[in-house]
Amino acid sequence: MLQFVASGIAIGCVYGMIGMALAITFYVTRIINFAQGQLMMVTVMVTAEVTGLGYSAWLGVVAGLACSCIIGVLSYLIAVRPILAFNRFGFGWLVSTLGFAVMVENGAAWLWGPTSIPFPTILNNTSVHFGEAAVLTGQQILAIATALIAAVVFEVVRKRTLFGKIGMATAADPEMASAFGVNTTTVAIVAFAASALLAGLAGVMIGPSTFANPYLGDTFGTYGFIAMMIGGGTERPVAALYGGILLGLSAEGANALINSRASDWFPFLVLALILVVSPRGLFSSQSPLMRRRVAAAAR
Amino acid sequence: MSTAATHALDIAGLNAGYGRFDVIRDIALRVGKGEAVGLLGPNGAGKTTVLRSVMGLIRQRRGTIRVAGTDVVAMAPFRIARGLAAMAPEGRRLFLDQTVEDNLLLGGLHLRRDAARQERLLASVYELFPVLKGYRRRLSAALSGGEQQMVAIGRMLMSDPEIMLLDEPSVALSPVAVDIVVRALIELRKRGASILLVEQRIDVATRVCDRLYIMTHGEVVEEMTPDTARGAGMSLINKYLG
Ligand SMILES: Nc1ncnc2c1ncn2[C@@H]1O[C@H](COP(=O)(O)OP(=O)(O)OP(=O)(O)O)[C@@H](O)[C@H]1O
Ligand SMILES: [Mg+2]
Repeated sequence: MLQFVASGIAIGCVYGMIGMALAITFYVTRIINFAQGQLMMVTVMVTAEVTGLGYSAWLGVVAGLACSCIIGVLSYLIAVRPILAFNRFGFGWLVSTLGFAVMVENGAAWLWGPTSIPFPTILNNTSVHFGEAAVLTGQQILAIATALIAAVVFEVVRKRTLFGKIGMATAADPEMASAFGVNTTTVAIVAFAASALLAGLAGVMIGPSTFANPYLGDTFGTYGFIAMMIGGGTERPVAALYGGILLGLSAEGANALINSRASDWFPFLVLALILVVSPRGLFSSQSPLMRRRVAAAAR
Repeated sequence: MSTAATHALDIAGLNAGYGRFDVIRDIALRVGKGEAVGLLGPNGAGKTTVLRSVMGLIRQRRGTIRVAGTDVVAMAPFRIARGLAAMAPEGRRLFLDQTVEDNLLLGGLHLRRDAARQERLLASVYELFPVLKGYRRRLSAALSGGEQQMVAIGRMLMSDPEIMLLDEPSVALSPVAVDIVVRALIELRKRGASILLVEQRIDVATRVCDRLYIMTHGEVVEEMTPDTARGAGMSLINKYLG
């Protein structure tokens, strides 16, 4: 019982990080970067490659994260900015970010081949016992800690720093932000870099158990998207983390309590149910759950 | 110094619009340093389009727009915002999920490394609108319409601009709130501010301004003094503003 809760939270934090990554770029530019999963994959592949060459895992991780950030910024400059400059309210970004995802994925498959290559174990061989009830690997604990730290850092930056306030202003009204001196392109570039960093970190957390595969981005991109939608990350990026945890719990729960195939469909059922009850996600300011809190905070 | 540099705002031959059409044509208008100028006209005349052109928010614009001698017609808005022009836009458009004071500080981003000057500007805004000081930590969404308009004007002041652009600050306000806004604008003029005020209410414009332009159908059709406008009264309203 406790075991599936614990491992559900751990994998949920990975989905949640990807969800938050999607939500951060959505927050600032109002587009969903469908190459987010592929940005995660880039970190995984580069980390595996650098480590495979005989360097330390930490160097590999740093190189992997750096590559994701660079490609993340490129995805904005190539697939998003020109499209939005042409029509800020159109849906061209849907096609262009998907196209960018396909390019990155095929590029990786061409470079590394379609089969998995080894990924450094990091903390995957250590384990922590919670009494008799549950065991988590050090890697799973690391995933939970990283996600929580990322969420806290994001909120502190957003609410307490000038850059965060500039980001909020850009998110709320980009035209007014620029009329008061904000270079909205710079804000978007920083947002895309930060979101690629977060997706890359998710990749580092999951890599030891999935190994490095060029097609990793598909599955994890999809789960990240679901995490954002059920959490309501489109309005509050941190809510995507709650969504991710819920998703992880329902997948692991279905696995443990129904059967091993149930984790393929049960989470989608949960998604559908949640979106019927609360179309903007469970933890958004518009959800029945949160509305009263928001009203109280405004007073 | 050239003569152009003596004007806070000097617009000549300005055409601007959205998509295929220019909605304002061959606009010429001037605001001297320390002068308050009104721009009146009916709905859809193109008043907002003129202000947005000065701010750089309309990409499709041709002609010359000089702010304190600098031609801004090809500049990005975030550069124009650095001490040249600032606006209190139509509909106020505050950053509603942020506090009053954060809204004000976001108005003066280019001065963020000059804390002393920013402090002085903030103090002068609170002096102009004392109620705001008590609300500084409140979310701006939780303010009344009149208070929100004060924040919008304060935010405009925080960049210490050469020209202040106000777009119908009196709209949808109670008579008391309109009076507070008008008094504030008169006070700003006394402090030496250069103001371009878009209005539909002649009484507001005549109380604040030294000179008035009338705009209809995308063109400036007349220029007059407040006294002439007051004298013309209803006939002016019937002719242009009805
Ligand atoms: N974003 C836009 N896209 C296309 N046309 C626009 C846009 N904004 C304004 N217009 C058109 O430009 C013309 C001038 O509009 P503008 O907003 O400048 O008028 P205004 O004088 O400020 O009117 P009001 O007093 O109602 O605010 C109008 O005919 C309007 O329909
Ligand atoms: Mg208007």
